[in-house]
Amino acid sequence: MKTVKTLFVALLVLAIAPMTAQTADEIINNYIENTGGAEAWNALTGVKMSGSANAQGMTIPVDIYNMKDGKTLVSIDLQGQTMTQVAFDGETMWTTNFMTMLPEKSDAETTANMKANLGNFPTPFLNYKEKGYAVEFLGKETKEGVETFKIQLTQKPIMVDGVEEPTISYFYFDTENYVPIMSESAIPSGPMKGQMASQMFSDYQEVDGLYFPFSMTMSGQGITMKEIVLNPELDMKLFAFPGEAAADKK
Amino acid sequence: MKKALYSALLIAFTLPFSGIAQEEIQLKGKQLFGDMKARHIGPALMSGRINDLEVHPTNSRIMYAGTAGGGVWKSSDGGATYAPIFDEHVQSIGVVSLDPTNPDQNIWVGTGETWTRNSVSIGDGLFKSTDGGNNFKEVPGFENSERITSIEINPKNNKEIYVGVLGELWGDNEDRGVYKTTDGGETWKKILYVGPSTGASDVIMDPNNPNVLYASMWQFRRSGWGFSSGGLNSGLYKSTNGGATWAKIQTGFPAGKLGRIAIAVAPSDSTILYSVLETEDPKKNGLWKSTNAGASWEHLNNDFGLVVRPFYFSRIVIDPKNPDIVLKGGLNGSISRDGGKTFKSLGNMHSDIHDLAFHINDSDVIYSGTDGGVYRSWNGGTTFEIVENLPISQFYHISVDNAEPYNVYGGLQDNGSWYGPSSSPGGVNARDWNSVGYGDGFRVLKHPTKNIVYSEMQGAENVWRYDVDRNRTKTIQPLPEKGDAELRFNWNAPMAVSEHQPDRFYMASQFVHVSEDMGDTWKIISPDLTTNDKNKQDQSSSGGLSVDNSGAENHTTIFTIAESPLDEKIIWVGTDDGNVQVTKNGGKSWDNVTKNLTGIPANTWVYHIEASVHGKGTAYAVFEGHTSGDMKPYAMKTTDYGKTWKSIITPDIQENAFVRNIQEDYVNEDLLFLGTEMGLYVTINGGKNWSHFTNNMPPVAVHFIEMQKQTNDIVMGTHGRGVIIIDDISPLRELNQQVLAEDVHFFDSKPFVMVEDSGFAGSFGAETQFVGQNKSTAGRIVYYLKKRHTFGKMTLEVQDMDGNVMTKLDAGKSKGINVVNWAFNTRNPVMAAAKTFNNGGFTSPRVPEGQYKVVLKKGKNSYEKVIETKYDASSITTVKERKEQEALTQELFNMVEDLAYMVYEIGEMQTKAKEVIDANGAGKAEAQNLWDTLEALRTDLVITTGDNYVAAADPELRERMGDVYSKVATNYDRVSGSVRKNYELIQEDFSKEKVRYEKIKDKEGKKFMKVLEKNNLGAIEMKTKAEFLTKD
Repeated sequence: MKTVKTLFVALLVLAIAPMTAQTADEIINNYIENTGGAEAWNALTGVKMSGSANAQGMTIPVDIYNMKDGKTLVSIDLQGQTMTQVAFDGETMWTTNFMTMLPEKSDAETTANMKANLGNFPTPFLNYKEKGYAVEFLGKETKEGVETFKIQLTQKPIMVDGVEEPTISYFYFDTENYVPIMSESAIPSGPMKGQMASQMFSDYQEVDGLYFPFSMTMSGQGITMKEIVLNPELDMKLFAFPGEAAADKK
Repeated sequence: MKKALYSALLIAFTLPFSGIAQEEIQLKGKQLFGDMKARHIGPALMSGRINDLEVHPTNSRIMYAGTAGGGVWKSSDGGATYAPIFDEHVQSIGVVSLDPTNPDQNIWVGTGETWTRNSVSIGDGLFKSTDGGNNFKEVPGFENSERITSIEINPKNNKEIYVGVLGELWGDNEDRGVYKTTDGGETWKKILYVGPSTGASDVIMDPNNPNVLYASMWQFRRSGWGFSSGGLNSGLYKSTNGGATWAKIQTGFPAGKLGRIAIAVAPSDSTILYSVLETEDPKKNGLWKSTNAGASWEHLNNDFGLVVRPFYFSRIVIDPKNPDIVLKGGLNGSISRDGGKTFKSLGNMHSDIHDLAFHINDSDVIYSGTDGGVYRSWNGGTTFEIVENLPISQFYHISVDNAEPYNVYGGLQDNGSWYGPSSSPGGVNARDWNSVGYGDGFRVLKHPTKNIVYSEMQGAENVWRYDVDRNRTKTIQPLPEKGDAELRFNWNAPMAVSEHQPDRFYMASQFVHVSEDMGDTWKIISPDLTTNDKNKQDQSSSGGLSVDNSGAENHTTIFTIAESPLDEKIIWVGTDDGNVQVTKNGGKSWDNVTKNLTGIPANTWVYHIEASVHGKGTAYAVFEGHTSGDMKPYAMKTTDYGKTWKSIITPDIQENAFVRNIQEDYVNEDLLFLGTEMGLYVTINGGKNWSHFTNNMPPVAVHFIEMQKQTNDIVMGTHGRGVIIIDDISPLRELNQQVLAEDVHFFDSKPFVMVEDSGFAGSFGAETQFVGQNKSTAGRIVYYLKKRHTFGKMTLEVQDMDGNVMTKLDAGKSKGINVVNWAFNTRNPVMAAAKTFNNGGFTSPRVPEGQYKVVLKKGKNSYEKVIETKYDASSITTVKERKEQEALTQELFNMVEDLAYMVYEIGEMQTKAKEVIDANGAGKAEAQNLWDTLEALRTDLVITTGDNYVAAADPELRERMGDVYSKVATNYDRVSGSVRKNYELIQEDFSKEKVRYEKIKDKEGKKFMKVLEKNNLGAIEMKTKAEFLTKD
């Protein structure tokens, strides 16, 4: 039944897409509308996405939590151990050191950069003006073999190795249905700095009226979602830096 | 609205059926090639020619290199490493300029290299980025500029910009001159124009007064057989009113013709100017200085370093803080510390220095752009080190051999001849490349059967036969014999080996020379096959004001030789002056078929002839007339030995993408690859239409293409981005209308060899080096999707022939061709939970040799393709031993998972026991007893303390078991006795622990269960083993 519904919505999406183009706002509005509508997206307080990553023959279970206020957490399951790969509670960003298996705070610059752009939930395009972001329609481009609208998204500047730099990314919306199928952003730091890293989005499916990509590929690494739960009830301690407690527990 | 919605829905529903109308499906470019991507293997160790350097005015980490044929590269780490930022556009760069008012975001690029040697590429206009180089857009108005030398932006008003257009090298051009915009590039006005043969070789703005401009105008022209620099129209101009009016500033300069003029203003003192002149009087050539902003000039120096090859080296750079410190480009580059009176050479680096730049804060740090890449000096120019990750090498020609992995051979502009592997452990590194020739390198060919390499330098001055195994070289170029005319070899002289006679070796001057003994003795087997036009043969006076007889302009020569792969008697020859000649009797007689080439202008350079494998009379010839100003693409096909020809060029090919090479497919006659000045084009229908291949493939000049027969790889020698390879193009052979109409089509593949290489790939010291991408040794699962998959679920998995899932793969969802790699792995075992990690848990065994099904599920539909895997023929073990290894791997895999489940059960029991203990009620004693005995067991089974590094605990059973599992699974050798004994030990230990566990369950466990039952404390919830082992 779900397949039929998906198909129907895909066709409906086709139907409400205006035939002629196009401003950035029209494209973004179509995207928001076609994937559930601004009202529904605005009502969303958080999501928990459970899935798995495929790496060299290994299937690694992954849970991703994203909250409206910017709290975020990625946890993976390796050899029976659940560990937080990266988390942010609104103030502190932290990771798990794979040598000691203990939590460590991220450096001040990384944390500040995280704080500078908290508006990515559920998509940076929702209410982008209020978030202080800017968008620009750059024209059509062929991506993943199909014609897309290319939108430049400028978020708040971040600091890279002590120097302020703009945060610019590019989203490619399929002209047929207005959902993003790809995004690109320049790698901000390190030996690959300046090279484009791309993400692909596919397998859009409906969850309680909202459409999410259930398959994402980030720099060649795929993640497939099994389940997406909207507005999950969570203990906010989950996001907090465990500090000394974790060390003691270990 | 409702009506609109209805009709739209109707359209949507009827769309899928419109395919019935049989309209021809024409997929182009990215739609067709999907994620079939090119890979780059460099090399970068000798890098390539740099045209222009640009440093950020305030951020010393950021700088740019505009390269002669490899695009624009940006460094964000103070010049340690660079990354390409201009890969969507023409790769020949004249100038890169940053907007001083917004240097982080606004980058201007003028294309077309400006140091006008014979082999330069062409540009294609003016471009601008407003997002730090992520995207560039063409700025209209400069479509015919060919070469842009200067972009000067007013630091107080970035709407006011001046552009210097040098213009066409091989023809007249009214687009030359100095242009100005006052609206940021919307509209342009030509503000200085001298004539159709005189271009702007430099335009600079006084850094302290944007209304003051200097422009040097240069009269110059190149042809296929000569070069002329200088004329009465050359001159040095100044404007003090933003370009409204211009006046010559030549007080003190000698009268008569002038050549290329360099000009620079001292940033710290606008009254001081330096200029380098090329004049009719050699004594007056070299450095001139003005101390009154150009009102008058004084001649200071005509040392070699100041006068050498002005068309190639006319760049002066002045220390931003000290007007007496002056750098000058040149063969070695020069530096003066006394205001230009005396100079010394810059320190050792690659020769031919085109541009230099000082660090913005520390003049001890100097960057240099050479024919061999970017160099850095930390001590004011005395010692230089090379930037190691600029793979902008400029190949004239490449070839491949049949080794595994195959090697690529080729010669480079000013950088000798080389060969290197197409794949290497850890990637293709600088150290993988081997030098096999000096000077400018051109064609490099491997002997078909012996480990011998032929290479050459410019004009066949030396042709080397290199015995690789014995490290011996011999020069073997044909020498004039009694009665011979003077031999005319092209700068890039043709060579060929025979597919029929391994020791046969061809070369050509104006004659075809053949040797049957690898170049020891030669025989001429043709008359002069060129037009022998004497007007094109006097190179001694070439150069104009400065004689420049490097041999690069030798003309009326043979340029390409092609022996038919089907018949050794059929030999095709093409000349640089437009002749196509063919012999069918090994050179006894020759047919000049030039007159049959309808549509090709007379004397158009025959750059390559490809003798076909699909018919003895079939050949392709490509022509290019860029040295007479004709940039149009030309490619012809004949099937009757040249009696008739058909053009296979269509308007799909960019109008200035002149053609240097064509490669046919050995299987499908309709599949052709065209190497052009603007990149690679591919046709799948014999030239009815062409697609530009742009997947990780910049529109770089492709000088030569080979197809490696065993791998079906397309290997390209590019003139600016090194060797670029498209792995296994065989899927393109299958594409036809029927395939394109299918929703999903799996392409056939040869059985996948499961390569067993397991060597080392130390990468010490390579942190800032370019490393070429390897060919994947995984199985390539290739399929075509008619539509991009965006909505609903799509999965891809490998199953055995009984339908058991071996592994799941990340499916490609692109419209067009998708390539998914499978490393022949199944899944990794579920490990027992412990405090730390064990390698065993990260090891997925390989599948055995055999047939498998690839299953693609898309919505309700399922598509299947049977594939086959094979053991590596170079395996060091027998099939019987391999089967034993596989069986033991499986046994250990199961054992690892048995232990995992046992530890899981223990954990669940302990959890329940803990619950009862914590409740502090009935059964506490039994619970504690059970918990303790289980814990004692658990700590013998798995590690419960320490970390993954130096605080690691001693291995327990899980770790020992995991290690031996991983060892057996990943070794390609037979299972050794030692490993087998270790396995037996672990198996025995595990058996003992299982017995111990059963005893605990029987004693402490049963007691606990009774307590639970008696007191209604609930059962222990336990997953079945199957449930436990399912991970997703």
